[in-house]
Amino acid sequence: MYEIRFHGRGGQGAVMAAQTIAEAAVYEGLEAIAFPFFGAERRGAPIMAFARIDDKKISLRTQVYQPDMVVVMEESLIEIEPVADGLKPGGCAVVNSKLSPNQIDLGVKARCATVDATSIALEMLKAPIVNTAILGAMARADDFVSIKAVKEAIASRFGEHLGEEAGRINAQAAQMAYEKVSIGESLAQRPITKRKMWLPTWQEMPPGVALYHEKRGEIEVGPGSSWQTRTGTWRTKTPRYLRDKCVRCARCWFICPDAAIKREADDHIDINYDYCKGCGMCASICPAKAIEMTKGAKL
Amino acid sequence: MKVKVLSGDHAVAYAVKMCNVDVIPNYPITPQTLIIEKLSDFVFDGECDATFMPADSEHSAMSMAIGAAATGVRTFTATASQGLALMHEMLYVAPQTRLPIVMANVNRSLGAGSGIWAEYNDSMPERESGWMQCYVEDAQEAFDTIVQAYRLCEDQRVMLPLMMCLDAFVLSHTVEKVLLPEQAEVDAFLPRFRPLNFLDTQNPKFINIAVTPAHSMEMRYQLDHLMRETSSVVDEVDALFGKHFGRSYGGSIQPYRMEDAEHALITLGTATSTARVAVDELRKEGKKVGLIKLKYIRPFPHEQLRKALRGVSSLGVFDRSIAVNGFGPVFTEVRNSCYGMGMPITNHIAGIGGRDLTVATFKGMFEKIMRKEGAGRDCFWHGLRGDM
Repeated sequence: MYEIRFHGRGGQGAVMAAQTIAEAAVYEGLEAIAFPFFGAERRGAPIMAFARIDDKKISLRTQVYQPDMVVVMEESLIEIEPVADGLKPGGCAVVNSKLSPNQIDLGVKARCATVDATSIALEMLKAPIVNTAILGAMARADDFVSIKAVKEAIASRFGEHLGEEAGRINAQAAQMAYEKVSIGESLAQRPITKRKMWLPTWQEMPPGVALYHEKRGEIEVGPGSSWQTRTGTWRTKTPRYLRDKCVRCARCWFICPDAAIKREADDHIDINYDYCKGCGMCASICPAKAIEMTKGAKL
Repeated sequence: MKVKVLSGDHAVAYAVKMCNVDVIPNYPITPQTLIIEKLSDFVFDGECDATFMPADSEHSAMSMAIGAAATGVRTFTATASQGLALMHEMLYVAPQTRLPIVMANVNRSLGAGSGIWAEYNDSMPERESGWMQCYVEDAQEAFDTIVQAYRLCEDQRVMLPLMMCLDAFVLSHTVEKVLLPEQAEVDAFLPRFRPLNFLDTQNPKFINIAVTPAHSMEMRYQLDHLMRETSSVVDEVDALFGKHFGRSYGGSIQPYRMEDAEHALITLGTATSTARVAVDELRKEGKKVGLIKLKYIRPFPHEQLRKALRGVSSLGVFDRSIAVNGFGPVFTEVRNSCYGMGMPITNHIAGIGGRDLTVATFKGMFEKIMRKEGAGRDCFWHGLRGDM
């Protein structure tokens, strides 16, 4: 049995990638299942998806704890998730990154494939949805499924959802990634530490399903999941605030879908880059052009 | 036959389409939405000749389903969790009125402590409503069971509604290989719907009349008796399905490695798949363990279960919900059914709110079953933080 664990962010298409690799495996005459795991349904929040491939019917429906392959859809996830946890000896990692594999610190020495899937997606699809490029890289990183089957599965699955043309372009993105992959060995410098989670016993559980925002055992806990996970670090565009031009109308503050704009006492604003996803609605609505969008995840 | 890679939810939608359903009242709720979205696509694209009726709530969706079925047409709806709870009042109308509605319920935990993952505290309370209720473990079984459900519900001896339950995400959003039969094969298996109780302008009558204490008791007993008689029809329909399609699921229950088993566990839903791996591993160690998948909790398969448990010296029952201050509901049902058989029966609660069920979880259950633990409260929570 070949087991794959995807680490992505809500909205990147990790679930669709897992489903598509399963479909590709079925085209190769194998059995496969794929399924997601996420916390709150929230764009940008870290999520996992899993796929299992075997030559006989698959009974295991538990999550994947010892993957043969880990797929990291977005480089900054390595900082906040133990992506290489449980990776089998001889297993491999596929990482969306501009860096070469021997610059990727997974905390474990492993075969590692990198590809700049974000650039491929922006070029081919005009959107930073990297799943199809990643699928191409996966087909190159290990030989459990062929690029031909992957492209067929993309054409079928994406074609069904988004139309034939979208299926074709996404298959091209996979082919491009397949050709551009670099393969090497990852670094083992960082410790693989599991994300700190507040795990109370039933006796410690606060009564009444009530929880204030507070620290428990050094861990920030509170309503929702974003206290623990910065959901903005994967943006491809970043807003720059031009304070002098601001007319203090607060429209940006009102329209921000993620409450990432803080309104100061005098109605100037402050942007919280931990949660800003770079959607650009603030820049678009600003009547004074006091917010401009710049390329990249940082100013 | 066609091979497709489908999620559990989409497998349900394909089955509904192939069963030529006439009316689909609906209200979307995670994780049932994939079913409704796919059916909406099918209807919009002209692949499914049904009336698609978005409702303003689940209470209305079930009311519409009852109204549609009462005109004598084939009806489907789907819901989950809070949606099923909101239907509660209307659910009771369909069985007593003998309307064979088929509904998919994607098991999701019921708030407070609101979550979107699998727990059976939404569907379990509804086993008292007079609906048939079953649990499936993979996408193929979800497809096949919907097809079986229309045949079963519309059988003149039955004419009851059925709720097919599938686990949130672990099944609803898990894709896997599904064999889709040809339309002609489904048509050959599923006869034209001939309603028993329907509004007919040629032959006017009241249905759902108000009743006095002078009639209620006989009416209730009639339904209780009917449900008990229905269990054999469940098995019959599954066997017939096997003849048509080459796949069957044992009917009400599906034993696994039970031939010489001394210690057995009863599971339902997707837990069964992972538990089978645990059984295989324990068998390799020489342990005489077996598994019974309880597919139907209504009608409850008393006779089939007692027969399958002959020779078993200790029994455990898995539950994915708790009847507060009671036990897991499946345990209560099984222990009642097995009264007098003599073996110790313990309750094993796990996977609450969708917590991952691993092979180790089920091995932990078997450990307790094999040690015949369970004097006292007989109820173990597996994976609970803090001493019980």
